[in-house]
Amino acid sequence: MPTDPPPTAATEATGTADASDASDAFAMSDGSAAFGTAASVPERPDVAHVRARAGGPIRLGAGLPAPPGMARLGRGDGTGLALPVWPDGATPSLLEEYQVAPVAVERSGETRRVLAAALRCCWTDLASDPWPGVPAATDDVLSAYRALIGRDDDLMRNWAIGALRRLHDSAWLEVSGGHVRLGPRCASWPASSHAQLRELMRRLPSGAGERNGLAILPVTGDDDGDDGDGGGGGDGGGLGEPGGPEDAGSDPRGSGAEEGEAAASVTVPENMDEDLLGPFDERRRAEIVAAFMAVEHAAEPVHEARFPALREPAPRHTLARMLERRGRVLIHERETWTSGYADTVAGEAVPIPGEAERAVLVLVLVHSVAIPRADGLLPADSWLSPFPAQADELRRHTRLPIGELEAALRVLRHAGLVTQVKAGEEAGGYVPGPQFHRLTPQARRRLQEELILAAGPHTPLAAAVRAGRR
Amino acid sequence: MSGAGLTVGRVPETNHEITLDSALTEEAVLSTYRRMFAALARDSGAVVDDPALVDIAETLFAAFAEAGEEWLTHEQMRHVCRAYPLDRFENRLRVLRGLGAIREVFPKPNQLRYRASFTSVVGLMFIRRMMDDGGQSEMHRLLALEDLNVADPATTMEEARTSAQNLSRAFRLWALELITLTGGTIEELREQAPKLWGTEEITRRAQSLHGTILNRWPDLDRTCTELRAAIYSYSDASRRAAGRLADSAGTTRNLTLLPAETWRTFAQTSGRERLASVLDGFVFDAPAPWHDPAAIVRAVDESPRPAPAQPNPPRSALPDPGPADTYDPGTGGLDHLTAVAEAALAGGSSARLEQLLTADGEWVSARRLLADLVAADLRPDSPYRLRWSDGLTADPAAEPAWLSHGSLERTGGAD
Repeated sequence: MPTDPPPTAATEATGTADASDASDAFAMSDGSAAFGTAASVPERPDVAHVRARAGGPIRLGAGLPAPPGMARLGRGDGTGLALPVWPDGATPSLLEEYQVAPVAVERSGETRRVLAAALRCCWTDLASDPWPGVPAATDDVLSAYRALIGRDDDLMRNWAIGALRRLHDSAWLEVSGGHVRLGPRCASWPASSHAQLRELMRRLPSGAGERNGLAILPVTGDDDGDDGDGGGGGDGGGLGEPGGPEDAGSDPRGSGAEEGEAAASVTVPENMDEDLLGPFDERRRAEIVAAFMAVEHAAEPVHEARFPALREPAPRHTLARMLERRGRVLIHERETWTSGYADTVAGEAVPIPGEAERAVLVLVLVHSVAIPRADGLLPADSWLSPFPAQADELRRHTRLPIGELEAALRVLRHAGLVTQVKAGEEAGGYVPGPQFHRLTPQARRRLQEELILAAGPHTPLAAAVRAGRR
Repeated sequence: MSGAGLTVGRVPETNHEITLDSALTEEAVLSTYRRMFAALARDSGAVVDDPALVDIAETLFAAFAEAGEEWLTHEQMRHVCRAYPLDRFENRLRVLRGLGAIREVFPKPNQLRYRASFTSVVGLMFIRRMMDDGGQSEMHRLLALEDLNVADPATTMEEARTSAQNLSRAFRLWALELITLTGGTIEELREQAPKLWGTEEITRRAQSLHGTILNRWPDLDRTCTELRAAIYSYSDASRRAAGRLADSAGTTRNLTLLPAETWRTFAQTSGRERLASVLDGFVFDAPAPWHDPAAIVRAVDESPRPAPAQPNPPRSALPDPGPADTYDPGTGGLDHLTAVAEAALAGGSSARLEQLLTADGEWVSARRLLADLVAADLRPDSPYRLRWSDGLTADPAAEPAWLSHGSLERTGGAD
């Protein structure tokens, strides 16, 4: 499989990035292994929340309730998924009101159009809630997408497949075995916004009518096997969807699936923060919730000038308590705030992402932070850097196979762990992403120490680090 | 040896910019020179006060090496050093000759050709290397050499004693300097310590040397004890310096303390496991972008729609006779309009429009007539003009029900 050069000056419209993305169609990488890794539900609610944030919705065994502060998405067969809910029914859309940028969505327009196409196919009964919907064939979703954008070339298909993978990785959809189901995050749309989606569904073309008429693309039922299995098989992993085996009981193609879905339910928990928020009046309460959403979901640390609850100690204390229940802490730098994993709980979470992704992330850190530091170019004491790790350097001068490298970079980019910097046609590279704002001071220091231990294990500095830890 | 003296004494020909940074770098270079030759200097002003002076010597030595047995005359020496001012060159040559680094080829009066001393060249090489790493690699080399020496059967006990004493002295002084630094400012420590502290490798070598000496000459145990103490105090000082740095490091500053080369080697030679192990135990967020329903609707509405494929115009099933044989652009339908207008005027020079349009009593033909008359009105080359008046007839029973009044006229310019 030819590995395309990394996206250089690719804009939203030119699709080199996803052309290469889709070249290994649906090789859902380890990044998606994050999703649903927690096999057993942790006892402590803060650990459960940390796992859900780091790994996506948690799978629940039959009859098990969701941890506090999480909605239980029952699948109808007793098992379910636990998804954290936000206080007072807020959603990250709240950030818009405060003009704070939420976590960036890669190729947002395309991704959302593909999500709309999947909704069009999976949400058949518009009288009910979108989730769980019914499984739909990937080809139907692609047809709906084609009907939506009015294009039917290979590039469009590659884009759509790239978007499907990203939606799968972020638990908005579950893509497996040539079928698409709505992912658990679709259950987090507030009921008040369903009308808007219903309206959209009514005017979207289904794409079903044109399937036979288009002979340009081999997207037909016969080709199904080639699409899903062949594409995935080429990458050695098939659909590396971790939930695959566990899903056996509710195989979307099985006849039992429909009955199972019929009994699916969403159990919304009581507000776990009522005891903390209760004493505050409406306005204060709204300010605290806004600050909570901002530190948890904004892309960058937010300035306290916009959020009274961050500025004033009493509400900030309440905010810190709310975060603490979710295994999070406030991270403060001058006048900006964000949140990160509490050092006490971080160890409990499964290390994510996968090994290849971690290795590539370390390479990016070495090239964009450690080396500029050693050369005296990087003055600020931060893990963010304006010096990109050159894509070419990563490709040529490391021992990682190129395919693995590109796949890992894609996952890291999607998770906001690296940011791609574009400069001209060939230049450009990767810098540490916005997630590095969320490291606690202890974690930052530990990261420095681990890097020194790994790169110079025999230096006195490493000895001092080891001695300090004993 | 002040900073002012430095800048004033700069060689104007060299096109370096004189900045604070370069002055600082020069001062660091000079201080190394002074320290290295402190043992040999006659007075404290005896070491060069401008790094360029060393460059003159180096340029000269390079020229001598190239000249080979031709040697160099005074003029040739001046020529290779033409980048430097004459008085500096003469001054340097005088010093180098006085110390014997450059000598006459034959010791007789009026000698014109000169040669360079091998010892001085080697000395200069050594100096440059010391500049680079503060003597750490020299210590490596020294230890390796001493290791070979004490293993040599010809080495006497006295030689071994001297060598052990020298080493312990070096280690002690090194340790003392580190200890002083550790008590000083953190900036100075960060800058100097990596040049001074010993890696585990140096300690290991020194200990193995110590072991060799002690095994071979048990009588030297006293000297060896001193050496051992010096090695320990040195590695202890290294650890303390590193420890202080590690404590004060902030969250990325200590990355400075490994040279960029070490980082590159690490990035280029490590396998996946070794790289990944750095992030063991770190937790990051899973990708969880938020797709707001409103944003989904917006994305669909803003979907970049390509121009719709244009369908072919419908074609008649009958055989196509192809284009007409002739095309006369002259009339352009004007004769048709003229005929219509003339029929409407019926020989007069003007006609009431409301009468013309209601004549047939049906909208379909009135519409066609109106279209033709308006077309005739709009063509500058036709002599017919419509003149609308304010009158308006509204009659729901008639066709057309709404009728503006006006007249069709043949203008004078025609015919």
